[in-house]
This record gives sequence, C-alpha cells and structure tokens, in this order.
Amino acid sequence: MSSSNDDVQPGVPAVDTAAMDAMVETERADPREELAKTDHDTELGIAMAEDAKRVSRGETSAEAYWEKYDAAAEREFGDAYRETPNPSIESTDQTIDAGTADSLSCTVGSMESVACEIDAAESLEEAEDASAAQSVEGAGAQTETGERRWGMVIDLQKCVGCDSCTVACKAENRTPPGVSYNVVMEEEHGEFPNVSRTNVPRPCMQCEEPPCVQVCPVSATYKMDNGVVNIDYDRCIGCRYCMIACPYGARYFDFGENYDDEVEEAGEITSPEYGVDRGKREDGESPIGNVRKCSFCTHRLERGEEPACVETCVGDARNMGDLNDSDSDVAEMADSTRAFQLKESEGTDPNVYYLK
Amino acid sequence: MATDTTHFEFDPGFTDDRLRVAWYAVLAVLLAVGGAAMILRITEGMASTNLTSTTPWGAWVAFYIYFVGLSAGAFLVSTLANVFGVEGMHRIDRDALFAAIISMVVALMFVWVDLGRMDRMYFPFIWRQLTSALSWEVHAYVAYIAVLVTELYFSMRIDLARVAERGSGLRARLSGLLTLGRRSTSEASRKTDRKWLTRAGIVGIPLAIFLVHGGTGILFAVSKARPYWNSGLFPVIFVVSAVLSGTALVMVLYVLRTKLLDDEPVDRGLLNRLAVLLAAFIIVDAALTGIEMLIAIASLHPHEVETWAIILFGEMSWSFWWFMVGMGWLFPLVMLSKREWRETPWLMVLAGLSVVIGIIAVRFNIVVPPQILPVMEGLPHGSYFPSLVEWVTSIGMIAVGLLLYTIGAELLPLTPLDRGDH
Repeated sequence: MSSSNDDVQPGVPAVDTAAMDAMVETERADPREELAKTDHDTELGIAMAEDAKRVSRGETSAEAYWEKYDAAAEREFGDAYRETPNPSIESTDQTIDAGTADSLSCTVGSMESVACEIDAAESLEEAEDASAAQSVEGAGAQTETGERRWGMVIDLQKCVGCDSCTVACKAENRTPPGVSYNVVMEEEHGEFPNVSRTNVPRPCMQCEEPPCVQVCPVSATYKMDNGVVNIDYDRCIGCRYCMIACPYGARYFDFGENYDDEVEEAGEITSPEYGVDRGKREDGESPIGNVRKCSFCTHRLERGEEPACVETCVGDARNMGDLNDSDSDVAEMADSTRAFQLKESEGTDPNVYYLK
Repeated sequence: MATDTTHFEFDPGFTDDRLRVAWYAVLAVLLAVGGAAMILRITEGMASTNLTSTTPWGAWVAFYIYFVGLSAGAFLVSTLANVFGVEGMHRIDRDALFAAIISMVVALMFVWVDLGRMDRMYFPFIWRQLTSALSWEVHAYVAYIAVLVTELYFSMRIDLARVAERGSGLRARLSGLLTLGRRSTSEASRKTDRKWLTRAGIVGIPLAIFLVHGGTGILFAVSKARPYWNSGLFPVIFVVSAVLSGTALVMVLYVLRTKLLDDEPVDRGLLNRLAVLLAAFIIVDAALTGIEMLIAIASLHPHEVETWAIILFGEMSWSFWWFMVGMGWLFPLVMLSKREWRETPWLMVLAGLSVVIGIIAVRFNIVVPPQILPVMEGLPHGSYFPSLVEWVTSIGMIAVGLLLYTIGAELLPLTPLDRGDH
C-alpha cells in the first residue's frame, strides 16, 4: 500500500486505496455474465479483453494483438466487423503500424473520417428532400433572394411580465442609465375583480419603412440588408430628430450618465453594438451624445447566437429567426391569425410581430 | 438729395454716451453669464439640460424656430419696400434685413448648442438624406443667409460708397471695404442696385416662405408619430406667426433706433402702417390657430385631444393663456385698436415687445406639449421645464445677437442717408 496514514492531508479524507479498489470490484459487472447476454462468443470476448489489458500494460503490442484476433473477430462478427472502423487506427496518429492496419480485414480509417462521410451523405439527402418539398409546396411563391430578414415574434400569451428581457438587454448591451433598448409596457384592463393585464415587451421594431431613417439629416441611421436598422455612432450628430419621428419610443439619447455609483468600473466594458468594438466608455466619446437603440443584438446574431432577450426569456415568449425563410418558426408564427404588429396604421411595417 | 449738400455728417451710433456705456455693460454681463453657462453645457454635455428621452427637444429648439421665424418675418417686411414698393417703407428695409441676418445667426447658434455632438456640426454638409426635412433645411438656411446678405448689400451699397467717400475714420474704411469695390454714387449705379435688390428679393420671398420657415414647419409636420404636429395647416401657421413676430420686431427696432440712435422724430405714418399690418397678422394667426385646434379636437384622435388638453389645462397652461394668448394676441390687439395709440411710439414699442415675447411662448407650445404624452401607452410620461443652463445659455446667445446688431447699428448706414424718401 503506497498510501499510509503518515501523509494524511488536512481536509482530505484518509481512504485506504485497497478498500477503494475493492469497492470498484464489487460494483464491476461480471464479464462472463455481461457477455452471456449477447449472441456472440463469450470465450472470445473474455480472451480479447484479457489480452487488451495486457496491451495497455505494455506486456504485448497492439500489432500482435490484432494479428492474433483479426481472423477470429471477422469470423465472429462478419460484415459488422468489416464495416466498423477499427478504433485503434487513427489517420494521423495510428496506434498500430500501417502494415498491420493494411493486413486487417476491417475498415481502415479514423472514426472521425468515417463520421464525416456519413454526415455528408445524410445532409445531401436532406437537401434533396427539402428542394423536392419546396417545388411541391409552392413553385415560384417565394423568390429566394438568399437574403436574411431578421424578425422577432413575441407571444403575449407566454409573456409573464418578469422584465428579465429588459435586464438581460441592459447586461448584454451595457446601456447607461436612461437608456433601455427593451422595456415591457404593462397595461391593466378592467375593474376589480375582473382585471386582466397585458405585458407588451418593446424592443426596436426594426421597421421595413423606418421613419427614423427617413428623417436623419446625415444618413447616420440606415437599414441593413438583414433588416436591422443600424446607427452609425461615428456619424450621428445627436440632433434627436429620429427620436421625434419614432412612433414606438424605441430610441434613447445617451446623456453620458454612468452606473459608477452602483457598480465599480461600470464603463470598463462596452458591448460591440452593430459589430463595432469601441473599447471602454469614455466622456465625450461616441455613443455619448448620440441616439441609441436596440440592434437585435447584431453582434450576437453575427456569431450565431440569439439576442440576449430571446435567450433569457423565461416563458420562451420571444422567438428570433429569418422572416424571409417561409419555413422558419418566426415566419410561420408571423403568418398566423394571432399575429399583429404595433401601430400598423403608421405604415412602418415592423419586423417585430406579436401573438395575441 | 439731402446728402449731396456740402455738409456731411455720418454718426449713426448712440447719441447719448451714458446710454451707450450702460447698454454695453448690460450686454457684457449677459455675455459673461451666458458664456459661463456655455462652459457648463460643453463640459457636462446634454446632462446639463432637463431633456429626457421622452422629451428630447426643448428650449433650444423652441428658440431656434423662434429666431428662424423672426428672421423670415423681418425679411418679408423688408420685401414690402424692396419688391412690392409699398410707400414709405424704405426707411426700415435695411434695418429689417440686418435684423433678419442676425436672427439667422442666433438661430443657427441655437441649433449648434442643441446638437448632442457639437463637434460634428458640419456633418450635414458632408452627408445628406433626401427624405429628411432637416437635411434640406440646413441647406435652405445657407441659401437664405446668402440672399439676405446680397439684399442688404444692394440696399446699402450706395450709402456705404458715400460714407467711404466723404466720411473719415473706422466707419469710412469699413464702408469702403463693404462696397466690394463698387464706389459709384451715381443715379445709374443706384438704379442697378435697385434692380438687383428686387431680383434677389423675388428669389428670397419663396425661399423664406416655403423653404426656410415653411420648411421649418414641415420639419415638425412630417412627424406622423406626433399627431399634434402632423397637419397641413401647421407650416402655414408657422409662416404667419413668423411674419407676426418679424413685423413686431421691425416696429420695435424702428422706434428704438430712431429715438435712441438717430435722435429723430418717429414717422407716425410709417408707425401706423406697421401697426395695422401687425394687427392683421395677429388676427390671422389667432384664427388659424383656432381652426387648427378645432380640427384637432373634432378629430377625437386621443393623442390630439390629450395634447390640446395639456396645452389648455396642463401644468404649463399658464404659458398658453398668459404669454401666447395674453401677450401675443390680446394685449397688442388692444394697443393697436386706436389710431391715436398706433401713432404713439412708446405704446407701439410696448405692443411690439409684447408680441415678440408672446411668440416665444407660441414656439414653446409648439415644441414641448406633444412630447409630454408618451407615444405609446405604457411608456413614461414626459415633464419638461428648461434647466438653468438652458435658460442662461439662451440669454447669452440672444445677447450675442443684440451685440452684433448694436455694433452694426453703430457702424453701418442702416438708416438711409436720404432718409428713405427717394
């Protein structure tokens, strides 16, 4: 026994390794019993296992092992043995030499390379299925421009009004006091005891016809190909005309305030909004003095993540996806009879839809 | 011509030196205090204002549209003489033009201080947006200032040439420079000036009415998100109230400058003409505002009705009743009701100042009320009264305008040397 009571460490329970081995032994299934459950030769299995242990102890080589058992395994497992890649053969780092590998009757190649081939074959099949399905479903109904139009669908039946989207948004985008890209508008209807309450989360609507873009005198705010309305903080002069024009109150002016009293080094990290990393928040530097708003977390979308509010939503009320893809969940939801947009009469055609 | 006599005297400044010192002292104090507030504005940024994301436009925007209106109004009064040849108005046309230029300078200062990024004020000349009224406006203002300067030049050049020829000292040298080399005082050159003055005025009238001030109204009227502004009548009211304030300003300046600087009797006929004009504009302005209100309330559109309720009965309703209705309309209308009063200079100064101040309230009541009510139910309500920094910087910028005007009035022949009766 290598461990003794002499080198007991404080806080570490003194356990006899022999006792621990014994515990493992009692838990270990009996090899004979286990192998008896299969249709295959129990004796062969036991012999291979015993020799495998010797390989791992270095008493014999892997080459010798496979030369010894190759014929027996092929006889026992047939086609299954030939088609399954031998786990001891790796394309870059072989555990047996090339000569032995070539002499074996099983598939030669790494598990990884085989897995890749299977994936490729499967996805090809899927693609064929999909195109076949589309040509059946609606030939020419939708011109595939290949462009994505990000959209959000918020299910008001699922929204519990917990405001965690607002909190997640502030944490993700590091917005200063007075700037909140997302708010939850709470409406109470009726009189006691017949009261109902509707919570309407309000991010930027990323309108298809955005009034804010229309009025910006320096074109600092504009619509991107993916449907998101961008603000170029390096061009915005801070005239706030867009805030006047926005029918949803989704735009906020950055007055330069900070959470320094609440959080130490609050401005050390900023969010790379619209994919631009501006380093830490500094006085007189953009976006201070600019107008800000929700960007659908463009920086997250670009790396394949959902916006923070969507990811965090406890009721799974918020959904993100491509509205141009008629098969996407959001496109289907936006098409449903429950779907509506805020202030539809404004003609702004928001890319945020709500479900009644 | 009076100036062709052997005796030539050109001394347009204050006749009373004590008054001059006192006036400059007052301006110095206002500029110093305003300058200090401006430093606060620049160091603290927009946090020095009482603006919020619910009420993003406030006092500075109100003063900006006020001075644009003052300018457009004063210019249109000047065209009565220069383009329409209204009898006896030539005496005030340069004064009106000069006041119009100064007003534009002050207006642009207000726009500048209102920008979140004051350092980017030249960006609208680098990047544009065809659908943005503000983008168009910025260019219209530049064109308009160019027309005003051209107008003033052709209106004043012959007197500048006379002063340069026969006067002495700083004024003569400055006048010589400002003639831009055209030193002739002949009748032919005067005719050429008149011709170009009329031409520039004809370009300037639509520019001032439709682009500069109508355009500023359009800037608000296109905001569909704010139903209170979103009306076709809105830009028209903008222009009418602009002409109203401009007429009042020109009347006040005429009386004060004639009395304090020229030390001459006020032309009562001219004063009466201006006063009648002013009364007419007040009636049109009040009537159009009434129509606008009736249409809004009759629409039963909740946002419109509630915005009017805020104006009429809200916490800032005093500015509507006392300043807009009282000082802008009722008090001056009473003052202007009798011919005897209309020909009394100090009463007309009072009536004019009352209108000039009342229209400030008109501008505040345009800008602020539709930003009190949130654009959507569930968003926070706004509440706005300008901060001390906003007030004092405003006073400072107005003082800059007064200083520029005073310096001009002391150095330039703003009153025609032939007293306008050619």
